[in-house]
Amino acid sequence: MNDHRSVGIVMIEDDEGHARLIEKNIRRAGILNDIRHFTDGTTALDYLFNAPDGPAKSGPAMVLLDLNLPDMSGTDILAKIKDESSPLRRAPVVVLTTTDDKVEIQRCYDLGCNVYITKPVNYENFAQAIRQLGLFLSVIQVPEVEG
Amino acid sequence: MQGLARTPFGGIPVGRVLIAAMATGFLALLAAAVAAGYAIRQENRHSDWVIHTYHVETVLIEARRLVEQKETARRGYMLAGTPAFLDSFERAHAALVPQIVELRRLTADNVHQRAPLAMVVRRLAELDAAQRATNELVRQGRGAEALRLFHADSGLLRMQKLRAVFDLMAREERRLLALRDAEQTASRHRFSIVAAVSILLFLLVSILSFLTVRRYTRDLQRSRVALADLNATLEEQVKERTADLALANEEIQRFAYIVSHDLRSPLVNVMGFTAELSAATGPLAELIDRAEAEAPHIVTEEARLAAREDLPEAIGFIRTSTAKMDRLINAILKLSREGRRVLAPEMIALDQLVEQITDSIRHVIDDRGVTVTIERPMPVVVSDRIALEQILSNLIENATKYRHPARAAEVHVSAQATPGRVIVAVRDNGRGIDPRDHQRVFDLFRRSGQQDQPGEGIGLAHVRALAYRLGGTISVESQLGEGATFFLSLPPTLAIESA
Repeated sequence: MNDHRSVGIVMIEDDEGHARLIEKNIRRAGILNDIRHFTDGTTALDYLFNAPDGPAKSGPAMVLLDLNLPDMSGTDILAKIKDESSPLRRAPVVVLTTTDDKVEIQRCYDLGCNVYITKPVNYENFAQAIRQLGLFLSVIQVPEVEG
Repeated sequence: MQGLARTPFGGIPVGRVLIAAMATGFLALLAAAVAAGYAIRQENRHSDWVIHTYHVETVLIEARRLVEQKETARRGYMLAGTPAFLDSFERAHAALVPQIVELRRLTADNVHQRAPLAMVVRRLAELDAAQRATNELVRQGRGAEALRLFHADSGLLRMQKLRAVFDLMAREERRLLALRDAEQTASRHRFSIVAAVSILLFLLVSILSFLTVRRYTRDLQRSRVALADLNATLEEQVKERTADLALANEEIQRFAYIVSHDLRSPLVNVMGFTAELSAATGPLAELIDRAEAEAPHIVTEEARLAAREDLPEAIGFIRTSTAKMDRLINAILKLSREGRRVLAPEMIALDQLVEQITDSIRHVIDDRGVTVTIERPMPVVVSDRIALEQILSNLIENATKYRHPARAAEVHVSAQATPGRVIVAVRDNGRGIDPRDHQRVFDLFRRSGQQDQPGEGIGLAHVRALAYRLGGTISVESQLGEGATFFLSLPPTLAIESA
């Protein structure tokens, strides 16, 4: 557990309610990692790449990404993170969104997304999915960010 | 286009103008021809008359000459007494007789010539008698006696009178000729006028016809060009419109998709936090229970009601409502997805498909105690299997669903090929649909009759959308309480639009 404590979770989700529910259910799964929440793409990207305490400058991170954002498409953020020259290209990205369009899913995997999860509308399923994601987060290894 | 509708000369049709012009032209030509024929006949008759006049004149002159010759011969005989003069006298007499006969024949038609001719004949006879008397005297050698008789008989006077009558006859002929000449000139004049008028009329009509035809041809040409232009752009216009329609359709699909997606997002929150709320009422109710047991005085009636009844009830309503909303949104999403799905036509034996569908919902059919019969044979169609399966399974499922309480439910499925269409009929003996609702049942979220069966009013809307996509139509025939028959009309072969 101690190893993972240092891995920050960056949640980019424009819906406050969803963010709260996700956080709650991750905590219920016993994940205590720091969760930073952003409601728009611009500040999220700024934090990811430029903030002194952000993942690019210090420490490993994983990203929880919603595709429907007010200022930009989630796939653009995904493309920037997974770009050849990005210091964060090895950081795992979990796309967590309402879209279950096949083309969109393929596109995300093509861009380098590590996991794609469709938010179930049914809350019991939703809560369970997030808890399972928490369990998954507790066992995966996240690579160090290259300087 | 306006060239086709407009006619020259203020609304009189071109055809009538042309026919009138042509008729007038032909009449003018006919008149000219008749006038010419008449003129030629007149001319011929006139020249006949001229020849006749000259003939009469010739005969008159010849007769006069013979009379003179006869007189000369007589006088010569009186002077010389040689028989050669007597011969000459007889020859002249012999020649004169036929001339007089001829003269009578030629002037038979003219009343004015009859009297002078009669006089000529009489005088000639008298002259002949006188001449023959002197001749006889000379032959007997009584020359002096003959000469005396000649003087007494005044032969000279006789001759002069005869000449005057001949002149009279010649003048009469001349007068007639002049009369006929005048007549002929008038006739020629008339012909000239008729010919001129005819030619003028003909020219006028020709010009009118030419102008009409030219104008009409121009109009025709103009409209032909316009038509050709229209024809050339028609294909393009159709293409443009089709593209517009496809765009609009795509826009609607996208709209439905986005709306349903964006509606889902807040719904996740509502459901999620309702669940949180529901979870929170557990400990709260427990607390009330404990407080009631341990310190009943602190539990108010309101608090107990709120924790045990109001909160669970409110949460229950929120949950059923959100669940319903979720189903509705899913229905919209499903419809919009159906519209985006690419159709894959294939050969489908309808009887096999129907059997497959009834097998797949066999448990429902058996549960409801419905008898499903499939009327064979059924035609084969080329269409999208998934769409057709969804349509028929919806129709058959509906048919088994809305049963009439008083009779054993029966569902009958049949299909027949008509020229250009295949019609599948799903007939039930259920409770039927009020004719007022026949259109409404195909609308999204609309239902008909008693609402005692589960459902959201989606199935038939889905069926109609699918039928339209397959190039078909769906309709229903029913009376309340009499059962219903749904007709699915499909093209035998599904044409896939390339766009």
